[in-house]
Amino acid sequence: MNGGGASPPALLVEGLSKLYRRATPGDQLRTLKSALLEGTLTRGLAPGQAIHALDDVSFAVAPGECFGVIGGNGSGKSTLLKVVAGILKPSAGRVVATGRVAALIELGAGFHPEITGRENVFINGAVMGLSRREIERRYDDIVAFSGLEKFIDEPVKNYSSGMYVRLGFAVAVHTDPDVLLVDEVLAVGDEAFAHRCLRRIREMLAEGRTLLFVSHSLDLVDDLCDRVLWLDGGKPRLLGEPRRVIDAYRQSVAEDEGREHLKAKQAAGAASADESDQEAEGTRWGSRRAEIRAARLLVGSTGSSDPGDPAELIDPADSRGAATEERYHLESGEPVVFELDVHAPAPIEDFVFGVMVSTPRGIEVWGTNTDLAGFVAERLEGDARVRLACPALRLGAGEYLVDVAVHARDGNPYDYRKGLFAFTVTARERGVGVYAPEHRWQAEGGVAWQEDDGSDPG
Amino acid sequence: MVESLVQIVRFRSLLVTLTARELKARYRGSVLGFFWSLINPLLLLGVYAMVFGFILKPGHGAVPTEPYAVFLVTGLFPWVWFSASLLEGAGSLIANAGLIRKAVFPAELLPLVSVSANLVHFLLALPITGVALLIGRLLGYPVGGWGILLLPAVVALHLPLVAGLALGLAALTAHFKDVRDILTNLLTLLFFATPIIYPLQAVPSHLLQMALRANPLTPYTLAYQQTLFAGTVPAPWEWGEMAVVSLIGWAFGTWLFGRLRETIVEAV
Repeated sequence: MNGGGASPPALLVEGLSKLYRRATPGDQLRTLKSALLEGTLTRGLAPGQAIHALDDVSFAVAPGECFGVIGGNGSGKSTLLKVVAGILKPSAGRVVATGRVAALIELGAGFHPEITGRENVFINGAVMGLSRREIERRYDDIVAFSGLEKFIDEPVKNYSSGMYVRLGFAVAVHTDPDVLLVDEVLAVGDEAFAHRCLRRIREMLAEGRTLLFVSHSLDLVDDLCDRVLWLDGGKPRLLGEPRRVIDAYRQSVAEDEGREHLKAKQAAGAASADESDQEAEGTRWGSRRAEIRAARLLVGSTGSSDPGDPAELIDPADSRGAATEERYHLESGEPVVFELDVHAPAPIEDFVFGVMVSTPRGIEVWGTNTDLAGFVAERLEGDARVRLACPALRLGAGEYLVDVAVHARDGNPYDYRKGLFAFTVTARERGVGVYAPEHRWQAEGGVAWQEDDGSDPG
Repeated sequence: MVESLVQIVRFRSLLVTLTARELKARYRGSVLGFFWSLINPLLLLGVYAMVFGFILKPGHGAVPTEPYAVFLVTGLFPWVWFSASLLEGAGSLIANAGLIRKAVFPAELLPLVSVSANLVHFLLALPITGVALLIGRLLGYPVGGWGILLLPAVVALHLPLVAGLALGLAALTAHFKDVRDILTNLLTLLFFATPIIYPLQAVPSHLLQMALRANPLTPYTLAYQQTLFAGTVPAPWEWGEMAVVSLIGWAFGTWLFGRLRETIVEAV
């Protein structure tokens, strides 16, 4: 199934743009004038006065297709759904939908807090374009689907947010839409209800209905959608097969996070002149007989002479390969180097360098030091650079913090720097946990399966 | 103006449902419930009758305004419908921003719901007018008469004006929030510039009388006073005047709403 098929698309979006007028103080009179005279709030605005919420977005969705839209906050996903639903008028471009379009932009829209769930079902159904008789015919199904039989005659102000969602979703899926627009609503209900919603969505897709699905739950998008559009700042960044688009999106998010880690680290470095602050915050302690002036993460080819020895370090020669760069996002399995700039004001004979990787929640993932690796200290004086190279850092996807330390053999710290920097790991293969070793599934006997290469998850 | 009419016809059942919702919601949680629709206008009437009937006690000369409370009630209740519809209607789009921003919703219904809900309050308060007329009769005053049968026609002619203004003001308020404050004060001025608490003929200056007669709301107030208080039938030209004013009000309001329709969702 794809949008370029022979059948006419259920939903066609062509060159869609949406401009918002930037709010400037004292602007209301001009707003009114422009709305009154031109029927738009944005015509004739200078580039600085308008925000492009959507910028030239085009796609076609085939009947029965599930089309996902992903992107960060403010990327234009919700605006896209609102324009497609007809709630907002596009500044340019057009939307052509075949059949009835139902939108779940936010559940419970149109629910009146003071009146009962039962009455609200009728109002909500009417807002979605159903006649009273049609709603009456579906009423029992709607209530049964929502699972709110006991509360249906209570005013909805007494409902929990989950109950709101259940009722709203129940009404929406029972309006027989040809195109259903869903904006991040499954996250609110409980697990059982989310499953029921997904079942219902799959049924609707099987019936040949079309779904436009906006979500931050990438796994759900991957699971449900046939194609995915990635919006970035209102512009279509990538459109295609879910796994590929989601991977690219995750990669980009990791890169952004990596840049943030770098920036945070630089900010911390700039502030490090005031060491008492760090000590007060509990992020740095020790006698400072030796100190760690900087530490960084290098990702890429290690250029290490012996990749079989992960503790290869204290190499006076520059062991960094040309491809190695300082960054704070990496793909699981990439080679990395933890690099420490050390300074000892006076010569010391008893020293150990250590690195610890942990999760933001404080779970120690991996740590090692030169003592454990069998290095016997002889002398440390003046400036030095220490590297811990790791030919393949096979961590699970997620964010990690790094502690670095120089201390005496008995553990007495000279300089301990907790959470000095952070980095983000992405993983090509899905998995759970902090460790992602190379692996392969095999089976013999009565097992039959097919490998899903991600090209056709539907 | 036709498009708005089409929308109303298309969503008439929704309009009825939303009006019912509005009425139910207003009194839900209160002990006296719908009785407030009677008590509120009664209390209001009591205050006005006391201030203008006893404390200020204006001399109306040869013009018959006795009993004053009955005279007052015939013009006051329609005014309350008019002003409450406009005030609530003006704020209705902003108050229901959640609805029109998140669902495909015919926005013109919202100000119209304010108008129809307040119309229901007005109609529910009519028995008070009836009782007042009856008491006046029993006390020997020449109030009331067959003219009362034409009241529905007056209301029907009044309605497009109220609805049109509510629509236009709602669209304006959505873009320009100052409208609500301007409107509040304008309504106060209009209240005193309409012959509700005094009879038009009692205004001393002829020029002022003509100015007050030119107030577009005056024809309706006079018609209510004629049909209810005096029990007489307004002259044909007076019917024509009401129809024309109403048509202009409806056309202007719906035109304004139509011009601003596309941008309402972004503006609220």
